[in-house]
Amino acid sequence: MISRQFLLIFFLFLSVFSIHAQDESLLTSSTISLTLKMNANAVVRSEHIHIEIEDFDKMVYTNKRIVTILNEEGDNNLGAYQHYDKNTNIKKLEARIYNSQGEEIKKFREKDFEDVSAVSGGTLYSDNRVKYLNYTAINYPYTMVFDVEVVYQSTAFLHSWRPVEGFYVSTESAEYKITNVSEGKVRIQTLNFEDYNIKKQSDYHFIAKNLKAVKRESYSPSFKTYTPYLKATLTDFNMEGVRGINNNWQDFGKWMHDELISGTEALPQAVKEEIKEKTALATTNREKAKMVYQYMQNKTRYISVQVGIGGWKPMLAEEVDRLGYGDCKALTNYTKALLAEVGVESYYTVVYGDNDIIDMDKDFSSLQGNHVILSIPEDEDYLWLECTSQTSPFAYTANFTDDRDVLVVTPEGGKIVHTKVYSAEENTTETNAKVQLDATGDITAQVEIVSKGTRYAKHYYIENELEKDQKLHYKEYFNTINNLEINAITFNNNKEDIVFTENLAVSATKYASKVGERILLRPNIFNEEEYVPPRYKKRNLPFQIKRGRVNKNTFEITIPKTLQVEALQDAVTITNKFGEYHFSITQKEDNALLFQREFKLKKGTYSKEEYKEFRNFLLKVTKHDKSKIVLKTNN
Amino acid sequence: MKKTILIITLLIAQFTFSQDFKFGKVSKAELEETQHALEPEASAAVLYRSQDVSFMYEQGKGFIQYNEIHERIKIYNKDGYDYATKTIRLYDEGNDTKDKLTSFKAYTYNLNNGKVEDTKLKNNGIFEEKTNRYWKQTKFTMPNIKDGCIIEYRYTIESQLLAVDDIPFQKLIPINKLDFKIASPEYFKYKALLNPKAAYLPKLNQSVVQSSFTVSESNRTSPKDYQTNANTKTTFTKDKIEYKSDVLISNLTNIPALKDEVLVDNLSNYQAKLIMELRSVVYPNQPVKSYSSTWGDVTKSIYKSENFGGQLDKSNYFEKDLDAVLSELTSPEEKIAAIYGFVKSKVKSNGLIGYYADLGVSKAYKEGAGNVADINLMLVAMLRYAGLEANPVLVSTRSNGIPIIATKSGFNYVIAVVEFPTGKMLLDASSAYATANILPENILNWQGRVLREDDTSSWVSLMPQQNAKQLNFLNATINEDLTINGKVREQLTNHFALVHREAHNSESEEEHIRAIEEGKGDIEVSNVTVKAENELAKPILISYEYNLQNGIEEIADKLYFSSILFFAPEENPFKQETREHPIDFTYPISEKYVVNIRIPEGYQVESLPENEKMQFNINDGVFTYLINHKDNLLQITTNLDINKTIILPKDYLEFKRFFDLVIKKQTEQIVLKKR
Repeated sequence: MISRQFLLIFFLFLSVFSIHAQDESLLTSSTISLTLKMNANAVVRSEHIHIEIEDFDKMVYTNKRIVTILNEEGDNNLGAYQHYDKNTNIKKLEARIYNSQGEEIKKFREKDFEDVSAVSGGTLYSDNRVKYLNYTAINYPYTMVFDVEVVYQSTAFLHSWRPVEGFYVSTESAEYKITNVSEGKVRIQTLNFEDYNIKKQSDYHFIAKNLKAVKRESYSPSFKTYTPYLKATLTDFNMEGVRGINNNWQDFGKWMHDELISGTEALPQAVKEEIKEKTALATTNREKAKMVYQYMQNKTRYISVQVGIGGWKPMLAEEVDRLGYGDCKALTNYTKALLAEVGVESYYTVVYGDNDIIDMDKDFSSLQGNHVILSIPEDEDYLWLECTSQTSPFAYTANFTDDRDVLVVTPEGGKIVHTKVYSAEENTTETNAKVQLDATGDITAQVEIVSKGTRYAKHYYIENELEKDQKLHYKEYFNTINNLEINAITFNNNKEDIVFTENLAVSATKYASKVGERILLRPNIFNEEEYVPPRYKKRNLPFQIKRGRVNKNTFEITIPKTLQVEALQDAVTITNKFGEYHFSITQKEDNALLFQREFKLKKGTYSKEEYKEFRNFLLKVTKHDKSKIVLKTNN
Repeated sequence: MKKTILIITLLIAQFTFSQDFKFGKVSKAELEETQHALEPEASAAVLYRSQDVSFMYEQGKGFIQYNEIHERIKIYNKDGYDYATKTIRLYDEGNDTKDKLTSFKAYTYNLNNGKVEDTKLKNNGIFEEKTNRYWKQTKFTMPNIKDGCIIEYRYTIESQLLAVDDIPFQKLIPINKLDFKIASPEYFKYKALLNPKAAYLPKLNQSVVQSSFTVSESNRTSPKDYQTNANTKTTFTKDKIEYKSDVLISNLTNIPALKDEVLVDNLSNYQAKLIMELRSVVYPNQPVKSYSSTWGDVTKSIYKSENFGGQLDKSNYFEKDLDAVLSELTSPEEKIAAIYGFVKSKVKSNGLIGYYADLGVSKAYKEGAGNVADINLMLVAMLRYAGLEANPVLVSTRSNGIPIIATKSGFNYVIAVVEFPTGKMLLDASSAYATANILPENILNWQGRVLREDDTSSWVSLMPQQNAKQLNFLNATINEDLTINGKVREQLTNHFALVHREAHNSESEEEHIRAIEEGKGDIEVSNVTVKAENELAKPILISYEYNLQNGIEEIADKLYFSSILFFAPEENPFKQETREHPIDFTYPISEKYVVNIRIPEGYQVESLPENEKMQFNINDGVFTYLINHKDNLLQITTNLDINKTIILPKDYLEFKRFFDLVIKKQTEQIVLKKR
């Protein structure tokens, strides 16, 4: 038995050594409300982010974070890490782990954190490193208290705030505060705060309470478009010793131009002459640009090396020329320098490169984006060049930097421009085939696939694969045809018009199946299958079709004289707000059938209520896509 | 006689390869080549590789290992650009054991207007990075890479460790010429073994040469009067020490590229390479320091370690707790089950693997977490404490490859075994859902080595003997509107249960429903119940109701549907036309479907699939299909057993054909017509 007195002393002891008294209840997992546990793998019990800007080149960031991890999936939400580089001084970094009853079971000091390069895989080298907590949970739930204090000399980037951190994480309480005693002004912008319980304490001080976890759902738009998000930036800042001004995109862009890009563009004399000579016969800017782009593609390759002013300053054009490689900034800047040499004006352009459509925020200038492309003004519009690809056609940006707001950096300053939108009508895949069916159900066929727009990128890479992998690819692509044999493959990559054509000679045994006296044939033979997203009992998020497209199949099917048609499907037409679907099979002659199918999906953003209708549309499409016709032996 | 042959071979080699492989002597002809002569699909090729491993004595340090590598690589096209970037891994722990990278030199060669132009790799293309406490890496990427260019680099890794890294004789691109030499002092006995599973077997020549080194000693003699140092004398003595070196040489040409493939367990299992295992160190006038030489020696030396055998001897830390657990149990089976469950509940895996205890068993027990060895050595100790004949089993994970040579690094995992006269029970308490003889998939890798208390050891098969079973009962009633309603009961045993528990036990009901619905078409699943989710000894039972909208196709008044409805597979997963390497299924399987379909009012059977039995390699694969029709009821029973887990390349086509037929049969249509 433990005496009462002992307990008393014990508790006295505890209160001295424990963290803030109000935090104590946060250390036990049982105090989380049911609503916060719903759909959550982790719960942020409390977080206090404080940014103190002491001067344009000194800022102190502190965070005390208490998070309860409910299960294994939640381990990723510990958030116990700190990035650093040579301009960052980590003053304090520690973490404590508590079991579900709130008893401390482990303590980590700074030296116990793993210290690794902050990038891996795609990047060859970066001087950015990260210290992170590598903790293996013994039991769930458990709670971690994380304490960090960091002094930055660079103030170009202020921590943003996302009180809903990600999918499956709820937040009990989170606080964000900026104290600024520097001469510059702090600008902030808040997005999607309205629908959430977030209180403004003062201009630079916010507290969020009881924010529920968000579930991931198919087709949902980019996370930050519907969850609360606060961005902050300093108008007078320092980036690794380079002072800058940022009141709006205009002057921030001007700073980028003057401090990061200017003076990096010199080229060796031989290269200047070479490129002039190469473009001598070109008459228009577009022609010249195209030649320069090709020249750059042949000469360089993409290698990511992130050094120099926080990874924001491009490598010298001269260096790129000598080494024959560079990252997106370096290759873009090199192309820009070459273009300038032949009298074509072009601009360094900062974007979010992603398959998702992510905009640079036109209303709020700050360090944004993760990629750089080149823009060339043409008439009232721009041409956009992706300089990191050696194979991409000229001015082709589909699927990565299309249809979004980007920052164009001109000598006069920055401006936000929207990149090219690839419309549904442009993004086509047409599959045409002449098919011979024989009496045993075997087929032989000549197939042609023509892809344009965004669809071009989904096909053209196949050309460079090994033949055995090409064959495997087609077997996967036409996965509903078992025993498919690919007898011949030829390609035509028309980079000029951005059209990719695949010609295949194929055959498959027993494609049509014998059922008693009959033969069942699925006429939609060479089809790229449509994916039907999952059913949600209750959909919570809106959904988005990011890019429109049209898929068209036209197959001429010849059946043997020994067979006759018993039944054909009726033609189908479905039209709705999401797109269109047409399906028809007609008998042209006794032994000639014509199958036609067209599926069009329109780009758009829709409410959660419309999701079911959208899914039903796709279910109907796949049902018709699979429907069969019946053939019978002639008597 | 031998000499003449050697001379003739040398002459031939001279004639065939007029190329100059001295560093920097890249020829125009090499640069002009546009595709590889023997493997035209290759995106790059190693024109020349030389590797020279030697040991040199350095006073005060002992023997230093020098690993000199020189490579000349031709890059044919953009897919080959990856070979222009290279990472060299260096050991980086402790002051005496740090690796050093020296004599580094690298150039890119291009043809420019008919002239060979070289570009040097400068320091700004070389990056050093600390990866973790033990390793660092030097990465570099070559400048001026263009289609058709050649890169060449050479470097030496100086190491104070005696361990020799595996010597690659094959890469994913062809190697035109390779020279290899290792000369190891007689004091270090290495066992050299070529990967026997590789299709390409290089030839090695062995010889012995005489070598020597000098040691100098200095002696200072001072007179007694230390105030003057005028008379201090230093004498030097030099000793020349002669020793023998064991030399292995290999001179190879036209090594084919190692072909990568889908469904390969671990490609490096098939790579031609030389493994050098240090067996012993024998310095003159000193006792032999033995490392390993046979599997028995390897296991013995592991057993002797405090971090292995030492952990098995400890029992104080658990005795009291375990006595309570065992107090009322008598049969060995009960005891095993209780101890196995006890360890799992007491200590969780910290994600680290290895056969040496990380924290030590008692600390792991106290903290509730440990690595694989902490947990499973503890398990063995407890089983022994309970009077059972339990032993540790050394295992190699699939990603570590199949242990080929008797080396300590051949293993990287440990589990427990209890041996009975009637059989054995393999146990892994570090995996949450593993059960007796049902081990996690990543360690189903051929065989493990049992280490017994009496110092003997032997191989034990890790491969599952029992088929993973999946039993599906499906009832279906076809409604008037041609939708289908019904119920499914699924029973999963052995590895199917393990895999299911790993994938779905932490899912919410809603997520589980979505997982069930996936790929089944226009279906709505409801009332899902899962039994024995956490009772690991029992099969998992899953049942649910469903409503299927698109299960039936109506064409001209007839109804068409496949006999196992939404369970019918759509495609054959085996699409390749030929195989280079075996396919490994890891465990044998048995899948059974029993489907009861009620024919709707007003319809009758028009045609049914026929009963059928198919076999692959007699009993390696067996499929049966049975259909019964009585009144308005159809009963279909299908059974697929794959009893052999490894499909060899020579059997691949037949196996693929077997699978095709199975899928055809499972998708065959039942036809009903109006009465």
